[in-house]
Amino acid sequence: MIDFAVDDDVQILLDAVTRFARQHLAPGARDAESNRGPAETVVRLYEEMGLSALEAPGEGLGMTARCLVNEILGRADPGAALALDRLGSAGYAFWAVDDRETVEGILADPARRAWLVTPEDGVVNVSEREASGTVHFAPAGVTDLVVLCPTGIAHIREGIDAEPVRGAGLRAAAPVRMTLDRAPVARFHRAPVGPVLARARLYLASLLLGVMDAAASYAREYAMERVAFGRPIAHHQALTFLLVDMNTAVTGARLLVLEAAWRLDARTAGEEACATAFAETVEQAAFIGPNAVQVLGGLGFMQDFPVEKHMREARALGLLHGGLDRAREDAMQHPATALMAGDPF
Amino acid sequence: MRFELDAAARQHLEALRDFGRDVIRPLGIERDRIGSPTPPDHPFFKEVLRRGLTRAPAAGDTGSALGPAVLRVLVSQELAYWDRGVSSSLPGPGLGGGPVMSMGTPEQKERLLARFRDMTEPRWAAFAMTEPGAGSDVARIQSRAVKAGDHWVLNGAKLYSANADRADWIVVFATVDPALGRAGHRAFVVERGMPGVSEPKPEKKMGIKAYASASFTMNDLRVPAENLLGGEAHYQQRARGAGFKGAMQTFNATRPAIAANAVGMARACMDEALCFARESDQLGTRNLDRLERMRRKTRAAWLMCLKAAWLADRGEPNMVEASMSKATAAEVAMEAASLGMELLGAVGAQGEHLIEKLYRDVKAMDIVEGTGQIQRIVMARQLVDYPRD
Repeated sequence: MIDFAVDDDVQILLDAVTRFARQHLAPGARDAESNRGPAETVVRLYEEMGLSALEAPGEGLGMTARCLVNEILGRADPGAALALDRLGSAGYAFWAVDDRETVEGILADPARRAWLVTPEDGVVNVSEREASGTVHFAPAGVTDLVVLCPTGIAHIREGIDAEPVRGAGLRAAAPVRMTLDRAPVARFHRAPVGPVLARARLYLASLLLGVMDAAASYAREYAMERVAFGRPIAHHQALTFLLVDMNTAVTGARLLVLEAAWRLDARTAGEEACATAFAETVEQAAFIGPNAVQVLGGLGFMQDFPVEKHMREARALGLLHGGLDRAREDAMQHPATALMAGDPF
Repeated sequence: MRFELDAAARQHLEALRDFGRDVIRPLGIERDRIGSPTPPDHPFFKEVLRRGLTRAPAAGDTGSALGPAVLRVLVSQELAYWDRGVSSSLPGPGLGGGPVMSMGTPEQKERLLARFRDMTEPRWAAFAMTEPGAGSDVARIQSRAVKAGDHWVLNGAKLYSANADRADWIVVFATVDPALGRAGHRAFVVERGMPGVSEPKPEKKMGIKAYASASFTMNDLRVPAENLLGGEAHYQQRARGAGFKGAMQTFNATRPAIAANAVGMARACMDEALCFARESDQLGTRNLDRLERMRRKTRAAWLMCLKAAWLADRGEPNMVEASMSKATAAEVAMEAASLGMELLGAVGAQGEHLIEKLYRDVKAMDIVEGTGQIQRIVMARQLVDYPRD
């Protein structure tokens, strides 16, 4: 069956998340950026909604729901979304090795925060006993670091030093640079990291989709109001086509993300689809961010308008987990082996 | 959300795939070399009917639970993978069927469409909108229709009408008054043999040569009043521009299928390029990188086709999605063909490789049924309230 409709139970959740994002997250986005964290009331409301681990295997709503929720949160404030989800994509690693105890521990303790990194997120040498190196970007307050390495998954709970960094964007997550100096590895699991990375990519891609959609929508609405040479600038064809192409870019990336998420939920082969979706989202975000600023002209460059934040944050999000290049390397494994005849995708 | 085919649809596509590999592609290559459309008495068409293959199968034809629009994009994609020209030559009402279904009276539907249920003799119908002075801007057509008693008299010229050279009837759009713009449009059914219409002449094309894009003129062509699609009442009762809207509804329904054609052609380009790169030991990082990008863009375009078709099956507006799929898929296909030529290098210049044929074929996809620029304008009207005049 081909069906693009959202299930009723998921739609109820999305309606609630939309209200939360519009009423609480988006209005406080600039304050959260300057204060390096969302307001306490926002944190409390988020915890009450129970959005962390909503995609947990078994009882959860699945990756499709996670991606739809993340797009809404990313549209409002992706930095705050990273800050609020204390489990984040590290949950995929814990679930992959059936470590539900750690997940429950993190969710139950507001002082704990997990973060997942790939080798490309820093320079980290990991053995089964200890880890050393640098993680370039993480939200503040990480207590449970998960490192995906070629041989497996390392869970580190001690020896994590963090130094605040300014952050190109995502400042509501209070970005830090983490240093590990022979940090002990609490647990090392020899497990395939591909499925974990696939989910982590979709997690980021769906936040990124929200940023893209926010930027494209803001630019479109502005262009319909701003008049130049006697008509709305949206009706000057050079900009008309740009705005249309921005909308198309968001739609294409969204469809790839949702189809990849469905593959994961349906347990059909999905790693290549996730890498493809992430790559397309990052690539199109790099198109949309600067062009949204361009549509607003000088105003877009000013912090009085949200598009400069969208541009910075879209770029920053797309750099994590190896960014575009690593995703394309993984995605290109497929064309090396498969013709498209008989197997469209 | 779900993105999987049922067993009946898969089975239907597998049958198409076998037929495509064994018959459609070889025929497409043959017609390209000969340089003219497949003649209507070619045994291929009877074989198509014998197998029950059509471009737009009904759900009942396949046993699939998928909606007809989704089924159509799946079939369109698969057929065009093997040869888009041959795909367009398949018997059936073609683009002419859309206006008859959306605007025709019950009597007209039965009179014009019933014959296509006979699967023993191939039959075609056609659609004629484009004129020498009105391509993308179809609202500016100049063919005139004048009421004369119980007839209409048509004068004008039509271009690029698919399969018009063999059609039993052609839906012809003409205007009662060019000054009225879209409101002046009327749709007529011109039947083969009516005095006053010239023999449709297939044009010489750069590609997709297996089907005829034919042109004809109308000189004092007398069309009976009962061949005005929908009858007079349709134009009096419906809102302003009912004829124009009928044509546009046709395009909204067919654009996802045209986009799916382009996706199929993009896939064919990539498969051929991949095979060539393998055989010539060119599958290094740079070319893998190019192929990954094309595969990704094609995948996004394909999902756009499915979304537009899915909306159509639900009876929901799909104007933006239909135009988006058409604009995106056509560009992706052209890029895929160009990439294929790049990988071929000087071999491509020989003009004998399938990719070279695809490179010529695929350009049409960004032109037929509204160019990529027109698709953007259609979307802009919805997205940014782009003015119509």
